[in-house]
Amino acid sequence: MSATTLRRLIVFSLIILWEGLPRTGLIPELFLPSLSSTLIAGWNEAGEYGHALAVTLYEVAVSMVFACGLGILAGAVVGSLPRPRVLIMPMVSSLYAVPLVILYPVFTVWLGIGSESKIAFASIYGFLPTMLSTAAGIQTIDPQLLLAARSMGATLSQRLVRVIIPAAIPTVLSGLRVGGALVIVGVVVSEMLISSAGIGYLISRYRTILDSPHVFAGVLLVLAMTVAFSAALRWIEQKASIWQTGMRGGLAENRSVRPAALQPTA
Amino acid sequence: MQPLANITPLKPAGAVEVRNVGQVFTTSTQDVVALDDVSLEVKPGRFVVLVGPSGCGKSTLLMMMAGLRQQTSGAVLINGAPIPKPDPNRVGVVFQEASLFPWLTAEENVEFPLALRGTPKAERRAKAQDALKLVGLDGFGKRHPHELSGGMKQRVSIARGLVQDPPVLLMDEPFAALDEQTRMTMGDELLRIWAATGKTVVFVTHSLTEAVYLADEVVVMSARPGRIVDRLTVSLPRPRTYDMLSGDVFGGLRDRIWRHIRKSA
Ligand SMILES: Nc1ncnc2c1ncn2[C@@H]1O[C@H](COP(=O)(O)OP(=O)(O)OP(=O)(O)O)[C@@H](O)[C@H]1O
Ligand SMILES: [Mg+2]
Repeated sequence: MSATTLRRLIVFSLIILWEGLPRTGLIPELFLPSLSSTLIAGWNEAGEYGHALAVTLYEVAVSMVFACGLGILAGAVVGSLPRPRVLIMPMVSSLYAVPLVILYPVFTVWLGIGSESKIAFASIYGFLPTMLSTAAGIQTIDPQLLLAARSMGATLSQRLVRVIIPAAIPTVLSGLRVGGALVIVGVVVSEMLISSAGIGYLISRYRTILDSPHVFAGVLLVLAMTVAFSAALRWIEQKASIWQTGMRGGLAENRSVRPAALQPTA
Repeated sequence: MQPLANITPLKPAGAVEVRNVGQVFTTSTQDVVALDDVSLEVKPGRFVVLVGPSGCGKSTLLMMMAGLRQQTSGAVLINGAPIPKPDPNRVGVVFQEASLFPWLTAEENVEFPLALRGTPKAERRAKAQDALKLVGLDGFGKRHPHELSGGMKQRVSIARGLVQDPPVLLMDEPFAALDEQTRMTMGDELLRIWAATGKTVVFVTHSLTEAVYLADEVVVMSARPGRIVDRLTVSLPRPRTYDMLSGDVFGGLRDRIWRHIRKSA
């Protein structure tokens, strides 16, 4: 049996169990409502869930841009320049151990209980691992490769585009994987703590009134979100490996395209 | 089949001149004199091998010839002109190992220096094919470095060093990471490539056998501060053969080098 078939089989049996166990009464519906009642609950409140999902997705997307964009940028600087590294790395590493969630109430005081405080919290939450792994990725680039590139006449920017970035891609992507997952966690957790909208908010509101099917409908949506994120990342990884290997073809195309692109289109 | 149809016309071999070169490394604790008044002339088309104890400045000297490092004093001239920065049109460099880009295929690695200069894709491909053919890797262009043996990787490196037809080829312990058998084969291969292209080669090695086997001339350096202590002309005929290794001429040259190195170690 192939790994894929096995994986599908596991998911399939979990679904069966989710439907079957509560129905047979082995697990009370309060602890685990059956899949069908969860779906029905979600469907009945589709508008509410849709709105919550939109809020959460918006917060995740903005936090992702901050966390990953700034994380990669800061990681690249810290990884390639020794002085900021010595200055910042010990600080970041010890900060990493602090459970940042204790800062969230402070953020709500500063930024209110709307999206801003979630975005701020999740951005910082995802920023650190992205930055750390990007810095590590850039630091571990074989200096021999850079020397070889230099011996072939590569300028600083050519070394960046053709050696440093492709060499760092795998570590940066694994940083994105961790950072992105933490962004989702950060948004949902902060919504559950103090907020007025989003999936996390719905989950915790329905939990206080012990409405399990609606709680699990929210959980299902969060699950779907992480699965989608994972798939998106796999897609990026594929694209990146194409870019990594076919980079020169790609750059050449860009060069030949640019003059045409500059011309006004009728 | 002309070995380098797309790379020809071959540029004439280049001359290397090192005049009273000194190199001092300033570190936080002390100043290290790596090279002290080194002068060396390599005539066009010659195969010169540098040997000397570890840390005597062989790599440093090679880096200067490649324009990768500037000397503290003196002058390094390639074809009569200084080399303030790397110039792959004048000097090709082959490093010890693993300096191939792992995310590029063999042919993309060979094309790399051409791509840096914006050479059109078709021309690049043709030149890379020729260079790979020259080093005996016809048909391996689509493989990635991890799919090649150590010897094949070094052949790709040599192809990459030769693809712009530089008049001078510098090699810093290119076969040091290979096993002995592969190393012997690669030595013969290199001599064949050298004969086909007529390049000037400056080659660094720790193997005395390799030094004598390959060289027209062996330059022996002393331990730090690096100085040139002897220059031996190897008058063995070419092509060199395995039988020569056990001959008296060969043994005599190798002993003479070894005595220098033992003295300074
Ligand atoms: N960037 C540097 N800073 C300080 N010292 C250096 C630097 N590069 C080289 N050195 C010193 O200069 C000397 C010569 O180094 P080099 O690498 O040229 O020796 P080498 O002959 O190639 O040695 P090996 O045979 O081990 O490769 C060494 O003592 C080394 O410690
Ligand atoms: Mg060396």
